[in-house]
Amino acid sequence: MGLDIHGVQSQLDALASNLQSQTAQHHARLQQAIQQLRSADADAINGKRTQGRFAWPVPAFPLNPAAHHSPTLPPPDYRALATDGSRIDIDRHLPVRCALLNISKVLLRYGATPDARLDSTPHLYTGDDQLALTDPDSTREQLMEGALLGLKSSVEELAALAELAEESADDTATLALVDGSLILWGPTIQAYPDYVRRAFIDQGLLPALDRLKAVASRQPLALAAYISLPGSTGVADALRLAVCPYDPVNCDQHCGRLQAGQRPCDSVGGLLDRELFANTLSPGERSELFTSTSSIVEEYYGDHAVAFYYLNVGEEMARVEVPAWVAQDETLLNLSHSLILDQCRRGLGYPVAIMEAHEQAVITGQDRELFRRMVEDALAERHLPVYTSEKARSKRQRSL
Amino acid sequence: MSSPLEAHDLSRLGEVVEASSAEFTIHCYQLHVGAPLGTLVRTDGPEILAVVRNVTTASIDPARRPVARGRDQPDSEAVYQSNPQLEKLLRTEVQAIIVGHRGDNGFHQYLPALPPRIHAFARACDAEEMRDFTQRLEFLPLLLQGQPPLADEVTAAFLRQAAAAHSDSESFLMAAGQEVARLLSSDLRRLNSLLRRLRP
Repeated sequence: MGLDIHGVQSQLDALASNLQSQTAQHHARLQQAIQQLRSADADAINGKRTQGRFAWPVPAFPLNPAAHHSPTLPPPDYRALATDGSRIDIDRHLPVRCALLNISKVLLRYGATPDARLDSTPHLYTGDDQLALTDPDSTREQLMEGALLGLKSSVEELAALAELAEESADDTATLALVDGSLILWGPTIQAYPDYVRRAFIDQGLLPALDRLKAVASRQPLALAAYISLPGSTGVADALRLAVCPYDPVNCDQHCGRLQAGQRPCDSVGGLLDRELFANTLSPGERSELFTSTSSIVEEYYGDHAVAFYYLNVGEEMARVEVPAWVAQDETLLNLSHSLILDQCRRGLGYPVAIMEAHEQAVITGQDRELFRRMVEDALAERHLPVYTSEKARSKRQRSL
Repeated sequence: MSSPLEAHDLSRLGEVVEASSAEFTIHCYQLHVGAPLGTLVRTDGPEILAVVRNVTTASIDPARRPVARGRDQPDSEAVYQSNPQLEKLLRTEVQAIIVGHRGDNGFHQYLPALPPRIHAFARACDAEEMRDFTQRLEFLPLLLQGQPPLADEVTAAFLRQAAAAHSDSESFLMAAGQEVARLLSSDLRRLNSLLRRLRP
């Protein structure tokens, strides 16, 4: 009853009409950007990147950024590992402060002895020692809720992936898949104080990546993060540097007063990386490797510096991120390419291991309601006060 | 010390996962290995006997329907080999109509006071148990009470299996036919249809 569908419809019509009018310009920009990618001078772009002043994160370019690689044949026997997490955040309408993470583990084995392992483990976090991050050098603390609980989940998922990899110790080729980006932190964590970054990166992310790297030193294991329908613009934005007439690039100084659309680099602007590569990669092919220059990666990731490639899986253009120890090992890099394609083929367009990990981790609306009741029952059984906000109560018992 | 696998009783079909006074559902341990239509099954705990009236194999998550995956595969077995998760995401269930239970002095051919417990183990009865239970046919109204033609298919399948367990199958089928005729005397079309199905 709350949403005026007719009001939404007229606004959507205006949006579609606006997009339609821009199609021809968009196509022209895309064609010029593809041309730029094919003729790009990587050294010049990298030079402009390191010396210029501009607002966008741009990756380091490989020598031949338009190169494309066909997949190798996947090994007949292999394992695909994936984990995922779902969470119930701290809810002030509940009578007790707690959060729940449900972390799934999936192992699929293909070849002579096919097998599957699908499970998930719930972890309840209660009390200040589990729910708050404390600065060892001061009295400051940060409650683990919202985005921070999301980061906690990402770290736990990676630790579960390392555990799964360590449990599967033989020479079978293995693909360890992360859902989403390997750069877990992005702008989110930049906003938090140093001790929070240290807790998540130094004590969470890096040890898990170290464990995965250690497994990869003993057996063929490729770690890869898979991003479906990526919205990244790093490669496309680097082409703006290529067409920029100023050297060194300085956006504010030269173009700060110009409207969007009037700047010289707008001739290749407003594009997504996946649009570019959809025109240069055939089904099954991957792009050349680009290297992330994100400040978090450069500052903290060390041996696990992130590189990425785009992959035409047939149904869509995916972005695949790999740590340096996969990027620099041609066997592991080829393994990630061929096995992700095989996973997408089996999963009808999306890696089946990631899909099953999601299905195992998901906490449904029904589960959330059950959890709330279980919390209340556990307190009531011990004669502890059970209360909720009037707001939550009125939402549950809607009346006329 | 025996391993859990060795301790597992291979004749065990599965466990009761839903139960009411008239029927129960068994979740089978192995995918696609249910019990044929008309099989006599029994639970442990209170020993309750029931006849399989339906076997289903479906996704464990009603929101996820299986999709066709075998276009490039030589046979359906290859579909399972190349998608090993399917074995964990599908399940076979058996629904059985309760026809009796074991008391202190043998079988009672009427409903027990309580249905089996959830997680009671269920097995298919062997020929001897089948023969013992079908010495009398007082349970037949429980089988025939369902909607035809399915109830008649189940009854006929059960009686064919029971006949095979008796040394004099012909006499058993004759007696069973007479009892069915008595119960369905007011519906000759249904009776004729069922009797035609009694021949093995």
